[in-house]
Amino acid sequence: MSADTGSAATLAPSFSDRVRRLMVGREPVRSKVPDEVALREALGAQALAPGVLLIERRLGARLRHGRVVLKPDGAVVERLPSSLRVLMAPKVATQPPSAPLVYLDTETSGLSGGSGTWAFLTGIVSADGEGWRLRQYLLTRLDAEAEYLEAVRGAITGAGAMVSYNGRSFDVPLLTTRFRLCEQPDPFARLPHLDLLAPVRRAFGRVWPDCRLATAESRLLGLEREGDMPGSAAPLAWLDWLRRGDTTGLAAVLRHNRWDLFSLVGLVPVLGEAFEDPVSLGADTHAVAAHHIGHGQPDRALWMLRADRHRLGTAGLLELARLHRRRGEWGEACAIWETLAAAGEQAALAALAKYHEHRSRDLLRALGYAIALSPSPERDRRCERLEAKLALKRGA
Amino acid sequence: MTSPQPPSFESFAVARLETRLAAKYRARIAARQTLPARPASWRDLPEDLSPQLAQALRGRGLERLYSHQREAWDLARAGRHLVVATPTASGKTLCYNLPVLESVLAGGRKALYLFPTKALAQDQVAELMELSRALSDAGGPGIKAFTFDGDTPGDARKAVRTRGDIVVSNPDMLHQAILPHHTKWAQFFEGLAYVVVDELHSYRGVFGAHVANVFRRLRRVCRFYGVEPTFIFASATIANPAELAGQLCGASVAPVLESGAPQGERHLLLWNPPVINPDLGIRASARSQSTRIARMAAKLGLKAIVFARSRLMVEVITKYLKDVFDHDPRRAPRVLAYRGGYLPSERRRGEQAMRAGKVDLVVATSALELGVDIGALDVAILNGYPGTVAATMQRLGRAGRRLRPSLGVLVATSDPLDQFLVRHPEFIFGASPEHARVHPDQLLILLEHVRCAAFELPFRDGDSFGAESLAEMLAYLRDEGVLQHQGERWYWVADSYPANSVSLRSVAEGNFVVIDTTGGGQTIIAEVDYSSAPGTIYEGAIYMVQSQPYQVERLDWTGRKAFVTRTRADYYTDAIDYTRLKILDRFEGVAVGGGVAANGEVHLVRRYPGYKKIRYYSHDNVGYGNIDLPDQEMHTTAVWWQAEPSALEAALPDRQQAIEGFLGAAYALHHVAVLRAMAELHDLGRAVGDGQGTWFAVVGGDGRGQLRGPDNAPVDPGARDRFEPTLFLYDNYPGGVGLSAPLYDAAAQLVADARDLVAGCACSAGCPACVGPVLLGDETNVLTPRQAALAVLKLLL
Repeated sequence: MSADTGSAATLAPSFSDRVRRLMVGREPVRSKVPDEVALREALGAQALAPGVLLIERRLGARLRHGRVVLKPDGAVVERLPSSLRVLMAPKVATQPPSAPLVYLDTETSGLSGGSGTWAFLTGIVSADGEGWRLRQYLLTRLDAEAEYLEAVRGAITGAGAMVSYNGRSFDVPLLTTRFRLCEQPDPFARLPHLDLLAPVRRAFGRVWPDCRLATAESRLLGLEREGDMPGSAAPLAWLDWLRRGDTTGLAAVLRHNRWDLFSLVGLVPVLGEAFEDPVSLGADTHAVAAHHIGHGQPDRALWMLRADRHRLGTAGLLELARLHRRRGEWGEACAIWETLAAAGEQAALAALAKYHEHRSRDLLRALGYAIALSPSPERDRRCERLEAKLALKRGA
Repeated sequence: MTSPQPPSFESFAVARLETRLAAKYRARIAARQTLPARPASWRDLPEDLSPQLAQALRGRGLERLYSHQREAWDLARAGRHLVVATPTASGKTLCYNLPVLESVLAGGRKALYLFPTKALAQDQVAELMELSRALSDAGGPGIKAFTFDGDTPGDARKAVRTRGDIVVSNPDMLHQAILPHHTKWAQFFEGLAYVVVDELHSYRGVFGAHVANVFRRLRRVCRFYGVEPTFIFASATIANPAELAGQLCGASVAPVLESGAPQGERHLLLWNPPVINPDLGIRASARSQSTRIARMAAKLGLKAIVFARSRLMVEVITKYLKDVFDHDPRRAPRVLAYRGGYLPSERRRGEQAMRAGKVDLVVATSALELGVDIGALDVAILNGYPGTVAATMQRLGRAGRRLRPSLGVLVATSDPLDQFLVRHPEFIFGASPEHARVHPDQLLILLEHVRCAAFELPFRDGDSFGAESLAEMLAYLRDEGVLQHQGERWYWVADSYPANSVSLRSVAEGNFVVIDTTGGGQTIIAEVDYSSAPGTIYEGAIYMVQSQPYQVERLDWTGRKAFVTRTRADYYTDAIDYTRLKILDRFEGVAVGGGVAANGEVHLVRRYPGYKKIRYYSHDNVGYGNIDLPDQEMHTTAVWWQAEPSALEAALPDRQQAIEGFLGAAYALHHVAVLRAMAELHDLGRAVGDGQGTWFAVVGGDGRGQLRGPDNAPVDPGARDRFEPTLFLYDNYPGGVGLSAPLYDAAAQLVADARDLVAGCACSAGCPACVGPVLLGDETNVLTPRQAALAVLKLLL
């Protein structure tokens, strides 16, 4: 600002006065300088740089989480259940299959997204020899974000893949934005990523009221959190620290983040099991079977549909019959179709009409099924063709 | 495109219509002008044009460029920001498409196109697709042009961001979706070479001030990605395109003003409705004249558009024309209404019907003023002066595309502005367009955008943004709790997304939806913006869509919903509003004849106490209703004139007459001020009061001036000790958008203009063309309202 505009400003009313006159009734917020030492001590953290705290914990090999025990020997890429491994993206691995998994979850200053939203806490869990290693990176000063992100990147380096819950649409885009704003390379660009929300939606989306992490951990891990802070309160806890130096909320945020992280760890093997044996975990067998069909494993799909035959709905039964038909197991397929056809199921009637026309060559039965179909041009063509064939046969 | 067109049926019909109008209504034609057909001025295709682009142009029959297209190319290639301001249909789009396509093809660069509305953006993409096909046909790669607006589905957005060569959007999307998420657009920004801004002239006033700040944010984000894109603007004819463009993009902009495009012969008529009551100076309504001309055009087989100034007038004229042409419900309608507030799908249907030539008469508001492609029309009828020469020219330019002869008729209303214009045709024919003004440093607007900019990228100490002190603004936002200052930077720390609470189109917030509940259902049939809601969708109001009247049954003010049912009412409704002003701060003042002129800040309260029911055709007042709505309040800036009590007493001893004199003077001043400020009538407001908010003056139902107290109760003017009427012209936007200060500077000129307007009027006692509608009482007035207004104006000079 040049000198003459400076002297003019002393005569004119201040900017704030001018704005406040136009906008009635807004109270300014008074800020206090946050005490970082007090925060560090309260959280049992170490300072990596001014404004960056690390809370690091090592936890034993037989860590209980709800009703499951978290086993560190499974936390490498090659030990991931194969049904989940196929869901990772990008597919190209940059690390050997024995590389460790990192479980990642962030807490943010808001849910609205955009470049003004901060990921102020990044929690990372990985296996550490016989036990678990939990690292939580906390940003306590805004001008320390570059150092904070470097530390996060360091913790990811060397990982074979990352595991998250809804990270594909939330945590990763947000962190990618932060890395870009700080003009740093993005460690997520080529890191294979398994977002557990996708398999949870697949296996339980039509069975559960919702697919939130809290629902998944309560139903699959039997975990009931006591005294947990709702995730939606995390932004305020951090903003209270920044604006007023209030340290009380951040400990609860760390605990919440830790629970989230170990739920990720616990969900991986349980979800693997749900994709092997959906019945035992109350998963949607048809949806799980569809997953296996989509990934080139129709036999596995057939096996689990057959095992759960009595619980299947019409679509699941038709799928099962289709798999039998593709293996040439016509007897099994027809048995299913006949049950469904008795209830007037159109697809089953059509399948039986085709079967008897082209395979068993029982044209009369074929015509019987075709006539039972709802009126449509296709049904009329089929009936006409069958009657013509019958007439021809009678003539011969 | 290059060959002269053979005389068509329409060219004879246009000439016949013009001759017939001139012969039959000679006295109504205040002035006429014929602009001769003009040949093209050609230039060669540039040598540095990519061969495939040149080939694609030739493939579309373009062997040469118009001179202005070549001029634009040369400037753009030299990296200069530029603005093309040539007439409607002169090939402006090629001025920007050519350098943009060249940079996409040769350099793999990107461009952002901005149009003020979604409809225009969709038109533009269709045109780019054609060019892309021509490029593919010429053997090159095509170009990818995508629209990005509120209708773009979520899963398509990533493709737009990463694969679009040209992204066509609008300022609102740039403001709310692109800039706050700029990191997702990193690839696009890194390649950004051009920002194209069409319809520049529409970026004035509040909208312009917002967009100038959005561009400040855009350039800031571009600097972050290391690019300095070139801005190319296209504009209708205004006096200062380069200045306006420069204010918007914050840099010097080169003008391209000489059109090289050919033009068909154009006939222009200024039409003044006949005087039907010589004593009162009352003229027939413009509406009756416009519908008459439209009927004649349609009967000659011509296609015509009627522009009306308000949505209500669109509906009324549509109804009258439909009564003539569309009484048979089995046939496709020949008359179509097109205005803001209709749902997008309904507008798209209308546009298609117009392009397909299925509609003979279109009745539209300014929603059609912009370049929405509706095909060729022969006649443009303006029901009233649209407020600016630029808008007049653009609306008249709707007729006569494709080099055909055309007829434009400006039908004057009895408004003072219109009457001023028919007496001064050189204002229109002399093509002296106005200055468009923006005030990007309007305090509240600037502050909102500093807020948005701080969200997008942290400010550093020493940065600047606009003309105000950035440090003070940032400190203000810190005190509000949304920013923190650490290590020489200002960081955003609030759990919010500030762009969502800033609308570029207004200073106030929140559109209303109109919901039809006829037959028990709930169908949204229209949207009404916040500022016009209290005057249009109050309970009891008749609200019209395609001239179907609906009655508002219930208004949910906080929920922003109006529930309506179909009705067969034979009347429409018109709201009454009262405005009370209180002076908060006087910035400067100067003594004039018998008082002072000043400008400063005021507090304004507007109330809508009720509405009138007006019968169709007869326009009789058939009843009143009450409106129960919260008062609308704002702070804004104003210019005012105050008479010194003793001087007023000497000039106009009768206080009743003084009040009427002030009301009449305010009416005249309001209209001449609008002309000076290139504003529209609703951008400025007028009021007469005491400046303390203790009383204000209105024209009552009996046509006489009345004083009212704060609670709207009548006040006896004689009972007050101190009587110091004050005449206000205020900026009709919260905080003001910079209209008052220039009016204060021109205060003496304004009063002189107003005095000339009133003194020169053809009426005897006062009329809508000078001091506003007057009702003469039975008593023989010593002083007519017109004389009273003249006395007041002389006092203020």
